Amino acid sequence: MAQLTRRAFLKLAAATAAAGGLYKLGMIRLDSLAAPEAALPGPVADRRLLGTCHLCAGGCGLSGRIVDGRLIKLDGNPFHPNNQGKLCPKGQAGQQVLYDPDRLKGPMRRVEGGWQQVSWDEALSEIADALRGLRASGHPERLAFLHDGKRGPTSDLIARFCRAFGTPNDLHAPRHSADGTGLAHWVSQGWNDHAAYDWENTDYFLCFGGAFLEAWQPLTRQLRAYARMRRGRPGRRARIVQIEPRASVTATKADEWIPIRPGTEGALALGIAHVIIREGLYDADFVAEHVFGFDDWSDQAGQQHMGFRSLVLRDYSPGQVAQITGVPAETIRRLAREFAAARPAAVAAGDVGGYTNSLYSQWAIHALNALVGSIDAPGGVLRQVEPPLAPWPEVVPDEIAARGLAQPRVDGAGGPGAPLAEHAPHRRTEEPEAPWPVDVLFLYHSNPLYDDPPGVGWAERLANTRLVVSFSPYLDETSALADLLLPDCTYLEKWFLEPLEPSLGYPAVGLGRPLVEPLYDTRNTGDVLIQLARALGDPIAAAFPWPHFVAALEERVKGLYQSGRGLPTAESWEAFWAEFQSRAVWYDPQYEFGQWERVLATPSGRFELASPQLKARLEAVGLRVTDQDLLPHFVPPAFEGEEAAYPFTLRTFKPITYAERWNGNIPWLQEIYGLHVQERWDSWVELNPETAHELGIRDGERVRVESVAGSIELRARLWPGTPPDVVSIPLGHGRAAGGRWSEGFGANPNALLAALADPLSGELATQSTRVRIVKL
Amino acid sequence: MPRWGMVIDLDKCTACQACSVACMAENNAPLVGRDESLHNRAITWHYVLPEVEEGDYPYFHARFLPRPCFHCAEPPCVKVCPVGATYVDEEGLVLVNYDRCIGCKYCVTSCPYGVRYVNWRHYHWPEPMEQYLNPEVPLRPEGVVEKCTFCIHRLRRAQEEAAAQGRQLTDAELVLLPACNQACPASARYFGDLDDPESTVSRLARNPRAFRVLEDLGTEPCVYYLAEEKN
Amino acid sequence: MERERFGKHAVLFEPLLHTRPAFYLAVAILVLVFLWGAVAYIYQFTTGLGATGLNLPIPWGVYIINFIFFIAIGFGGTLTSAILRIFNAQWRTPITRAAELITVCGVIFGTINVVFALAKPERLLNLFFYMRPRSPLIWDVTAIGSYLVLSLIYLYLPMIPDIARLRDTFPRRKRFYRFLALGWTGSEKQKKLLERVIGLLAVLMIPTAVAVHSVLAWIFSMTIRPMWHSTIFGPYFIMGAVFSGIGALIVVMAILRRLLHLEDYLKPLHFNNMGILLLVMSIAWLYFTVAEYLTVFYGNEHSEMVVFWAKLTGEFAPHFWAQVLTCFVIPFALLISRRTRTIAGTVIAGISVVIGMWLERYLILIPTLGRPMLPYPQPSYTPNWIEWSVMAACVAAIALIFVIFAKFFPLVSVWEIEEEEAHAAAGGHQEAVAPAKGEALADAS
Repeated sequence: MAQLTRRAFLKLAAATAAAGGLYKLGMIRLDSLAAPEAALPGPVADRRLLGTCHLCAGGCGLSGRIVDGRLIKLDGNPFHPNNQGKLCPKGQAGQQVLYDPDRLKGPMRRVEGGWQQVSWDEALSEIADALRGLRASGHPERLAFLHDGKRGPTSDLIARFCRAFGTPNDLHAPRHSADGTGLAHWVSQGWNDHAAYDWENTDYFLCFGGAFLEAWQPLTRQLRAYARMRRGRPGRRARIVQIEPRASVTATKADEWIPIRPGTEGALALGIAHVIIREGLYDADFVAEHVFGFDDWSDQAGQQHMGFRSLVLRDYSPGQVAQITGVPAETIRRLAREFAAARPAAVAAGDVGGYTNSLYSQWAIHALNALVGSIDAPGGVLRQVEPPLAPWPEVVPDEIAARGLAQPRVDGAGGPGAPLAEHAPHRRTEEPEAPWPVDVLFLYHSNPLYDDPPGVGWAERLANTRLVVSFSPYLDETSALADLLLPDCTYLEKWFLEPLEPSLGYPAVGLGRPLVEPLYDTRNTGDVLIQLARALGDPIAAAFPWPHFVAALEERVKGLYQSGRGLPTAESWEAFWAEFQSRAVWYDPQYEFGQWERVLATPSGRFELASPQLKARLEAVGLRVTDQDLLPHFVPPAFEGEEAAYPFTLRTFKPITYAERWNGNIPWLQEIYGLHVQERWDSWVELNPETAHELGIRDGERVRVESVAGSIELRARLWPGTPPDVVSIPLGHGRAAGGRWSEGFGANPNALLAALADPLSGELATQSTRVRIVKL
Repeated sequence: MPRWGMVIDLDKCTACQACSVACMAENNAPLVGRDESLHNRAITWHYVLPEVEEGDYPYFHARFLPRPCFHCAEPPCVKVCPVGATYVDEEGLVLVNYDRCIGCKYCVTSCPYGVRYVNWRHYHWPEPMEQYLNPEVPLRPEGVVEKCTFCIHRLRRAQEEAAAQGRQLTDAELVLLPACNQACPASARYFGDLDDPESTVSRLARNPRAFRVLEDLGTEPCVYYLAEEKN
Repeated sequence: MERERFGKHAVLFEPLLHTRPAFYLAVAILVLVFLWGAVAYIYQFTTGLGATGLNLPIPWGVYIINFIFFIAIGFGGTLTSAILRIFNAQWRTPITRAAELITVCGVIFGTINVVFALAKPERLLNLFFYMRPRSPLIWDVTAIGSYLVLSLIYLYLPMIPDIARLRDTFPRRKRFYRFLALGWTGSEKQKKLLERVIGLLAVLMIPTAVAVHSVLAWIFSMTIRPMWHSTIFGPYFIMGAVFSGIGALIVVMAILRRLLHLEDYLKPLHFNNMGILLLVMSIAWLYFTVAEYLTVFYGNEHSEMVVFWAKLTGEFAPHFWAQVLTCFVIPFALLISRRTRTIAGTVIAGISVVIGMWLERYLILIPTLGRPMLPYPQPSYTPNWIEWSVMAACVAAIALIFVIFAKFFPLVSVWEIEEEEAHAAAGGHQEAVAPAKGEALADAS
């Protein structure tokens, strides 16, 4: 090789460097070689089928995209006025409910060490035998039917069955969001139900703990309404003030969060009423025309009683209320003035359920609407119009049934323990020696072993019940103890009707229908009840003259057709039924304001701030009542657990990802479970950051939460929206059964709850337990 | 050529997360399960971020930010991919070629927004869940990176249908085109052509409330947010 | 008789001639460790990268740390054999070959760790089919590829005269050595050519090595992640490579000295010089670190300060302060004074530096990845048994390569030592390495 001179070397080096540089620069040219686009499979042929969701009581319409008989996407039904094509995240996750790999695939019987498949015929004949036995022995009341009581023909069918059979024990299991609202409306306006709200036109929402963006009332409608309240009306932006002990997502999105001592919301409402009345900010005309009990009143016997104004002015000044609630007096005044200034498009409402004073609290809150005249006004509080569903022919109970129906209910609802309650199955009514007097228990859409406090004793009750039958589509804590499983189809595989819960004011009925063929050997519980009734023969069978549930539904739907109102309209019944099926909803979008007889259905025909009918009811069960008891007033809430030993009040809450009464075997929802603290696939307990610091607890550390009723272990998370003496735990985990994606992790806060109840409404006081935190 | 972008109005947004679920449903999100998810291996193309700042109790600030991929106009991820598996198409979409990705995850580390996800294992759907899979979206093999595509499959289908009718897609057809937008109950999300100054997204992007996330990094994200108000 | 074959440097050929039982034991253990790591990797290959502790937002971990770490270790070789050659530091002659072998091993095992880090390694060749030159990883492929080729050549060529000697003295392996000797006759012409080429390579190695460590650094600094996007990274990595390379070199030298009885060749003088180099680099490390952290701290940019505090007082504080201890405090204490700058002292310092520089790579990678700018649920990364096993296998493999290499070739460049002796005898150069005790050592076999 020739000698490498220095010059040559330098030339070589320079050339190399230049080439390298150009190479790196030249990259820009190489980059322009486009990567071939990732191959897309291409569009597929599909069809759309409309139905209705059942993951909460909202009843949103569904639109399913079907390809080759498979449900590949769920969206909202654009025709349904409640959700108008939209769905909340639970509804969106419905595919994982339908194709849940841990669903029951057919009827099962409990055997030693597990479950054995049985045929429907076998199962039904066994149940029919047991039921016949009850009738034959003259004790049909020993049948109990525990279900969710969701408004609609399925609940009606169950009620019908119970009536024809002869048992008064048609038990509605309480929803966690059951609050004193229904009874508060009964007391003030004469109807026991939630109210409808004209959110779309509201200017001011004083929200007492209502999880507006997470749960509470038909959620998707609330989500849509929120956007409209904020930006849907140019120049008008509604103000939302959230008053609750824990800052929920709703509170975070609200304009203001007012922390308040748990159970004192009623006092705050009365404090606001005080300012409104004292400063003359109330709607005097409305009060004069439509309100009873504002002034002192006298009853039929001629006795004088204190009225609302006197009580409020005397006992609920801002200073007094500030002491009770922890809300500064100046804030109370400000809220009162803001609220009244926005009238009549101002709403005071919410969810103060879970305390022992819920009824009075809710009544106090609702009273604010009467003061500002937002009852049945645009932007205010309405009474939901029921859809004109035709009734089924009346059931006339036979002798055996009549005797059974005359027996007292097993939950003592309406009695001295729960004088205003219509249902209270969670109440512990058993005498120590006498077991729960139920022989046959049907469970539909209820899981009391998970939902109720352990003190209620469901495990014992089920153990003492001879035959427990569950219609649950999957194993859960309660159905795991059943004797027979008769799995229902999911709402995506069966026919049902879903009348709209109070929300829009005007009536709507959603049609649930199969979007796909049932995957397994499951049956619509409605069909099963009809089959059971047939098996029992007349007179029960006579009350169920339909071949299947759809026929029974058609009879009800005829009423919608015959009313001639709403959409769809049609020339003939057949055309109507076809159109109804294709749109999966009927609704009549006209709400007539000012139908006072309907809206104020009290004995006085007015909004009652003082309630003679409450007086009558309470005295009828032997309770003594004072003047104050007939008015909305503050009843100090009772809590279980001494403050010294249990320094924190426990709040349980429902994140938007919690599908109440479903098994939670839904990975999509587990993945996004706790948005504000980025938690997934687990439970947590929220602590105030300062408090956690004082206790030496770091974010994410495991702790034990203890109450008088039990203890659970879970991770502590710091959430600045937590008052120093409150801790909060979400619902939905800590399951012992339900499927591979819901079992065995997290903790169920219901295990901590004391079995307290509101003494009047009988509802579970789920927010009335005190706890302590122990570092692990 | 259109440049696709999105606008999300935080004042209307309810932080409900329907968008996240709709995305998982539409795009065949791999089912990683609890153990993998707690190990931070979840694949959530769309995710709602909580931005929480403690203050003096009871005052605190929290904002919820629905976060798709921002399909940046200056994407740091595309620059660093050694094999060109991630690339920008002519309409501004930042995409991944699943057949070419070698799983080096350089794009994952260079994305400042954390929108890119890895298939750490072969994730499968236990029977009968595979029935709900969307046949219009390809399944990704183990080892590759994946992320939000602005529902390109819906976009292509719509573009083809419009082309077959001899027309362009209208702004109205575009606004709710991706699954997340379509699902939003608050109608808080908009999709469209940022290069068309009259499109909804362009008009909203000019709104004084409009901002983008970590703008000063120079990535030029094509997702705008409209700030929340309090009154 | 071997002594007569090999003359006064016979000890350098000891390993080729005699195999003690300890050798077999060592090989057995190393092979076992290597196989265990191989099994671990096969498990990862079949299950997916998810078998490791990697996750989001930390998708790079031990493998990428080792990628940088091993290649950086190799810089010690380049420094000794190339840079010091250019500066005519004669004392380096006994070290060059082993050093160059470190470089080659470092580059190979560093690069192989990238393959381990791929989630889809079966598509490795895509790097070549679809190479995108704009990507810093491709700069890596180019630079490291060049570096590997150059290092292999630079290892091999200077071995030729020794191989030729073995060709002539090892009849059993004659064909093997003849093939490798490339017809070396030892003529003046050949010697001159060899010198020239080695000289040229030495010069080329430097910009190549600089390029390699720059592009390693630029993988990180070309992104916009906090505490990555910093101009200091290129020089920092080069400095770090020199630093850890010397540390590793010292350790390897000490081991070879003990195992191969090279006391006459690797003297306290060498360790003293390398110790001084290590001290200088330790001070340089301190300077670069202070410059980097002070700038970040002073700028007070939010997302950078999150990472900053995580390192200084937060989750990574133990790692950070351990790094300060091992990279500066211990080396400085041991190397500042001649009294402690003994062989033992420098070896301890070397080990400390190697550990510290591994921690350095960890601290570059994990805190930044673990503190994303947008909210993330509880980032954390714990390497698991697979990653550690693979790492152990790499170390075992390197040791195995040395052990087997030593069986076939002398780990010290004998002909260069003899040449220097010849030059020294002819008068003029710096210290010659004269084995005064060479004859006595030959008895110790």
